[in-house]
Amino acid sequence: MGLRVFVRLVTMANMEADGKPLSPEEVFRQYAPMVYNLARRMLGNDADAEDVTQDVLLQVVRKLDTFRGESSISTWLHRVTVNAALAHRRKRAHRAEHETHDPLNHFLEDGHHAHSVRPWSIPPDQEILDQETHQLVEKSIAQLPEVYRDVYVLADVQGLPNAEIADMLELSLPAVKSRLHRARLLMRHALAPHFEEVLT
Amino acid sequence: MTCRELAELLFEYIQGELDADLCEHISRHLSDCPLCVAYMESYRITIQLTRRLPPAPVPPELAERLQAALRSFKEQEGSEF
Repeated sequence: MGLRVFVRLVTMANMEADGKPLSPEEVFRQYAPMVYNLARRMLGNDADAEDVTQDVLLQVVRKLDTFRGESSISTWLHRVTVNAALAHRRKRAHRAEHETHDPLNHFLEDGHHAHSVRPWSIPPDQEILDQETHQLVEKSIAQLPEVYRDVYVLADVQGLPNAEIADMLELSLPAVKSRLHRARLLMRHALAPHFEEVLT
Repeated sequence: MTCRELAELLFEYIQGELDADLCEHISRHLSDCPLCVAYMESYRITIQLTRRLPPAPVPPELAERLQAALRSFKEQEGSEF
């Protein structure tokens, strides 16, 4: 029954233009990219992301009883994926530890910038990322400490509201904002050498 | 206001969550500090670049794996499908 209900719920929100409901295969195909991308960015590892994607799509089917319909399928899938990724990370035998680095250390004791800051040469309204920029941003995300990466991926990649992220990660709203700000500062610091205008 | 203090407030400043008094302090600092102007602009660009990331395609091996998992699940579910 689980799969049937799941398919029906998804179908209600995702009828094709001709009104035909999506098949189970289409449902899996439609939602696998979102689940896979979120898991891959949270875990920073393709193999782990593939395991999580399979777990989530099957888990979604089994956990339908807990879905009360008050949130959209997309919100629900985000939540299930986040939980699965966090559980997968906890199970890792050799978890990669990142040095938690305070981006505000790049200032002197008197509060001034420790190094020169130059404008970036990339136009802020560039609509499509070139392959090199795309890879740089992905790599920088993967190098964020996990404590910041989770919030950053959910907020700035997935575009979820901070309150929803706080709920998913069981954090206070101020903690989400603080982590997101630090993640953005770390990302800025990681990307700066690649985009700062070269002095002539 | 120091450059570091401004950096600490960037999140709320960009979100429009600061009171008028603090916004005024920041504006005054920015008008006199090109480094902080560049810093704030690059902070904004960082957010914009991240929001434009395209999704990675699902690897073909994973797609096959999911199809197999779905078939297996449907078999377990018996006559439902």
